[in-house]
Amino acid sequence: MNSIELLYLPFVEFGFMRRALVGAVALALAAGPLGVFLILRRMSLMGDAMAHAILPGVAVGFLTAGLSLTAMTIGGMITGVIVALLAAAVARLTPQREDASFAAFYLVSLGVGVLLISLRGSNMELLHVLFGTVLGMSDAALLLVAATSSITLLVLALIFRPLVLECMDPLFLRSESRMGPVVHVVFLLLLVMTLVAGFQVLGTLMVVGIMMLPAAAARFWAVTAIGQMALAALVGAFASFSGLLLSYYANLPASPAIILAAGIVYFLSVTFGRQGGLWQVAKQARARSLRLSRIPERN
Amino acid sequence: MPYHKFYTSFPHRARRRRLLGMAGGALVLGAWSARAVSRDPLPVVASFSILGDMVREIGGERVTVTTIVGRNSDVHSFEPTPGDAKALQQAKALVLNGLGFEAWLPRLVEASGFNGVSVTASEGVVVRQLNPETGEATHTESKHAEAGHGDHDHTHGDVDPHAWQDLANGMLYARNIAAGLARADPRNASYYESRASGYIARMKALDNEVRSALAAIPPEHRRVISSHDAFGYFGDAYGIEFIPVAGLSSQAEPSARDVARIIQLAREKRVSGVFIENMSNPALAQQVARESDVLMGGTLYSDALGPADQPASTYLGMVSWNAGRLVYVLKQSAQK
Amino acid sequence: MGAGVGVMAARPDTYSPAAVIELEEVSLGWRDKVAVRDLSGCFEKGSLTAVVGPNGAGKSTLLRGIMGLVSPLAGRIRVTGESDGTPAFMPQQGGFDRSFPVSTRDFVAMGAWRRVGPWRAFSSAERQRLDEAMQAVGLGDFGRRPLSTLSGGQLQRALFARLMLHDADTYMLDEPFSAVDRATTEDLMDLVLEWNRCNKTVVVVLHDLELVRRCFPQTLLLAGQCVAWGSTDEVLTPENLHLARHLCAGDYL
Repeated sequence: MNSIELLYLPFVEFGFMRRALVGAVALALAAGPLGVFLILRRMSLMGDAMAHAILPGVAVGFLTAGLSLTAMTIGGMITGVIVALLAAAVARLTPQREDASFAAFYLVSLGVGVLLISLRGSNMELLHVLFGTVLGMSDAALLLVAATSSITLLVLALIFRPLVLECMDPLFLRSESRMGPVVHVVFLLLLVMTLVAGFQVLGTLMVVGIMMLPAAAARFWAVTAIGQMALAALVGAFASFSGLLLSYYANLPASPAIILAAGIVYFLSVTFGRQGGLWQVAKQARARSLRLSRIPERN
Repeated sequence: MPYHKFYTSFPHRARRRRLLGMAGGALVLGAWSARAVSRDPLPVVASFSILGDMVREIGGERVTVTTIVGRNSDVHSFEPTPGDAKALQQAKALVLNGLGFEAWLPRLVEASGFNGVSVTASEGVVVRQLNPETGEATHTESKHAEAGHGDHDHTHGDVDPHAWQDLANGMLYARNIAAGLARADPRNASYYESRASGYIARMKALDNEVRSALAAIPPEHRRVISSHDAFGYFGDAYGIEFIPVAGLSSQAEPSARDVARIIQLAREKRVSGVFIENMSNPALAQQVARESDVLMGGTLYSDALGPADQPASTYLGMVSWNAGRLVYVLKQSAQK
Repeated sequence: MGAGVGVMAARPDTYSPAAVIELEEVSLGWRDKVAVRDLSGCFEKGSLTAVVGPNGAGKSTLLRGIMGLVSPLAGRIRVTGESDGTPAFMPQQGGFDRSFPVSTRDFVAMGAWRRVGPWRAFSSAERQRLDEAMQAVGLGDFGRRPLSTLSGGQLQRALFARLMLHDADTYMLDEPFSAVDRATTEDLMDLVLEWNRCNKTVVVVLHDLELVRRCFPQTLLLAGQCVAWGSTDEVLTPENLHLARHLCAGDYL
């Protein structure tokens, strides 16, 4: 068995590995581009906050209908949307900025979620939902992730131009069209949708990892926004693949392994990335000092 | 003679009346307080739902039982609340499993200032040692098994605490509980004894039933996968091999290798069913069953009783349910 | 060609038919502050007007009011002569994220929004217009360069190019030369004059009075209210400038 076979044999042999790969890759393809936009809008921590904000909705869905995918998805969407809209409203109508108002609302949301969970005792099933089961994805969960990712990518492609403008020069957009707030809301909705679908795969703690780490890494290689989005999706897919292999061969739990793989790619990017990586910066500094040291020779 | 003096002298008549009055009053008081003692039920705290049910059976109406970890809840990851400390403080007896099952209990006992009788139900049980690498069990006689021995993560060659899964141990539990209640409440010792005997008799009857039902199944169809390594004692007692998924702790997230190993094992060893118990991730077990083409056996109860309106809401009900599911699945597989 | 001369602008009953932007006793402000009070006048088609005044005089607010970004507290603003709605507007710098990963060409291309919208592709005609604009501002070879690598002057040129893509008839610029070197200022001013020669109406907010005297035939001197509006020589007298400073000092807080 040569080393190439090592890379694909587990997926050939076991159905659960194939399903895990499909689910995680589908999630990564949508989460990566969303993460890039979060970073560009300086909302990097918003992803994590949003994941916590969704918690009470998922909890309520679970408390009313058990481990029903539909109930938890709907619950999560509702709370996520409410928190996002309330935060945006407060930011627009009062002097408080969006990041502060969002922090306030998501913390309230998180407290309510923890309260709801503790009312039913330490319920293991719910905790498993929160930690995700990438290795045990049901047909319904796979379908949900695939559908969500497809819709997200489609909508992102549709609103790409106004979204970029809204991130980069909102005043200009305002003077040209009234799409600004609409696009902002649509983006938040996509974010909530992807996070809720991502719970099934990686759980609430890790899903933000697959969103932010590839996006943060992509910044060190790609020059344009589109390039960063494509690269983030690829990095996320690669992290899913290698994370699963890591879980298989090194006997690590699956979702942390995927995030770990993404983290390793990030650190490699910080060090060796061609756009501002540490090695590049050091090389340029060396070249600069070399140039400067040659100047007296010309006189 | 002082006695004669007592009866004949006038001043002594007053003293006599006083003495008689005091004696009569003392009798009334004694009778009244005796009645009060025999009417006030003994407050007992049980650490989790299975023990709670047993104490209720044995103590009957002479005890009020408060259970700390209720139905359908996980004992390993339990966090006590102030309400639990309060209940413990007011209790006269505490019934716990021991064998390291309730890691949080020693702290709770200390915090509550409990000073009643502590009953370790598993005292005297032949203990199963768990060696996770080989999956084999070794047996040692348990001496004074203290509660809270080690941490609640049982994945390192620890002791298997789920002794109640074997009805023979259940009978031992009942005897220990009866003795403990008797220590806390000597007046009703005989009451507890007789109730325990009746309970043990029912256990024996169930034990015979289970044995005869399982005897019909051929040995090569006695292998199942369960999602929690809590059925070791049951397996040893009734001759079923339980292959666990993801170790003993219900919190551990499995690695891909664990899952792959289970599936391989299921295919190799040709298990007859996959069972989940009422506390861990059903999606994983379903995936395993689907891939190894084995029957999904449904829920087995291990660490906690089910809800009150379901068959597994009492200890006997739980054992009966587990056995029933196993028999059903194993028979089906045998007929395939 | 002027509409009013002296300390207070006259209020004509009818504006000349060539007026592109008409202001009728307009007051502009927000929350509790009134930035511009009782301004009346008009900008005629093909005029080149400088708007000057001390800090806090309400110049930016006036432009934003004309653009419709701020609603007037009183009075009416009428903007006509524009085939597709509002004039082209360049706000004061600092509004956009310079480090956004986009190429200079893509950044300039945003100027075509009104024709291309959020979804339509760029036709070859559009692309040619884009190339011409980049050439006109002197950024012909800078297309692929990321925006973040442009210097202050180059960035300003890019903004001008983006503005040109609007293909509007009226241009409003708010302090376009504030953080830019002399050479770039000269180049861009030449461009502005070129626009005006093509009969575009241009309104520019400036601080550089020397530049105003040199290049702008019309000036509006603003200090919270209209101090003077008319030909530059008549407006930028020492008395008017002194009055403007005096008016603004009190209002500054």
